Amino acid sequence: MADIDPKLLEILVCPLTKAPLRYDRDKQELISIEAGLAYPIRDGIPIMLVDEARRLDDAEEARLGAKPAP
Amino acid sequence: MEAKTHETLVVNQFGPRAAAYVNSITHSQGEDLIDLTAMMRDRKETRVLDLGCGGGHAAFAVAPAVAEVVAFDLSREMIEAVAVEAKRRGLSNITTRQGAVEALPFAEGEFDTVMTRFSMHHWTDLGAALAEARRVVKADGSAVFIDTVSPGKPALDTFLQAFELLRDPSHVRNYSVAEFRAALAAAGFEVVAIRERRIAIAFGPWLERMNTPAVQAEAIRALQRLVAAPARQHFAVAEDGSFELDTAMIKARPV
Repeated sequence: MADIDPKLLEILVCPLTKAPLRYDRDKQELISIEAGLAYPIRDGIPIMLVDEARRLDDAEEARLGAKPAP
Repeated sequence: MEAKTHETLVVNQFGPRAAAYVNSITHSQGEDLIDLTAMMRDRKETRVLDLGCGGGHAAFAVAPAVAEVVAFDLSREMIEAVAVEAKRRGLSNITTRQGAVEALPFAEGEFDTVMTRFSMHHWTDLGAALAEARRVVKADGSAVFIDTVSPGKPALDTFLQAFELLRDPSHVRNYSVAEFRAALAAAGFEVVAIRERRIAIAFGPWLERMNTPAVQAEAIRALQRLVAAPARQHFAVAEDGSFELDTAMIKARPV
């Protein structure tokens, strides 16, 4: 798995909310908690397109602290 | 007919043609690239963003002189081709990001220089994209905007947009220098210098790069013959369909 340079992750934000992203190394995703989206990293290249992002489910959002647990 | 978004059109047009753009002589050479290299000389602390990097030629030109270049494009295949070519050239300070110029995934003031070359005519919302460029460049940073431009006069402009669209359905618009000036001012950039140049376009390779279907190629030839003489003269249309395009390199700074 191509790992991604942490220094370069620092400069990335959510294209929708412009808020910082959280890196999920196992899933190779960049999480935007406010937008409730996970941007995929494929072959080490972050895909920063809202259309390509995965919508977080309620459990994930709760775990990440976006919403109170149901 | 299947409904397509503009993004899908761009990705469909450029994805399969990525290698053609990396190898294109029209794109890999040019006095504008020499200018870019000269502007970036000895800027070892500089972080540069290349918007709509396409085949990556602007990124390749400045990478040796700067700290890092982020090459950004809507097309996945283009980004991958740039990553492969950067590696082949040993340019380890180029990183790639896929996204839309109208919604940049970078925080405010992250870049010393924002540049774009031969991409703006594909953008669906020039104003939004320039505002994003302004947001991510440092207050004391700089910007360089390079593109083919419209001569401005309506009859010449209509001919240009018509043959560009026939060649490539993802073509949005070539703006005139005056339109660029206005859009840049609205986005918060001050124009520092403008360098206009003409580039020669060889008809065959120009169509091949975009894999233009024969029916559209014929339509372009027909249009070249039918259009009024001043338009044919302005673009220096030759017997074989080759012609010249106006380009501009606009240097700007945030205000």
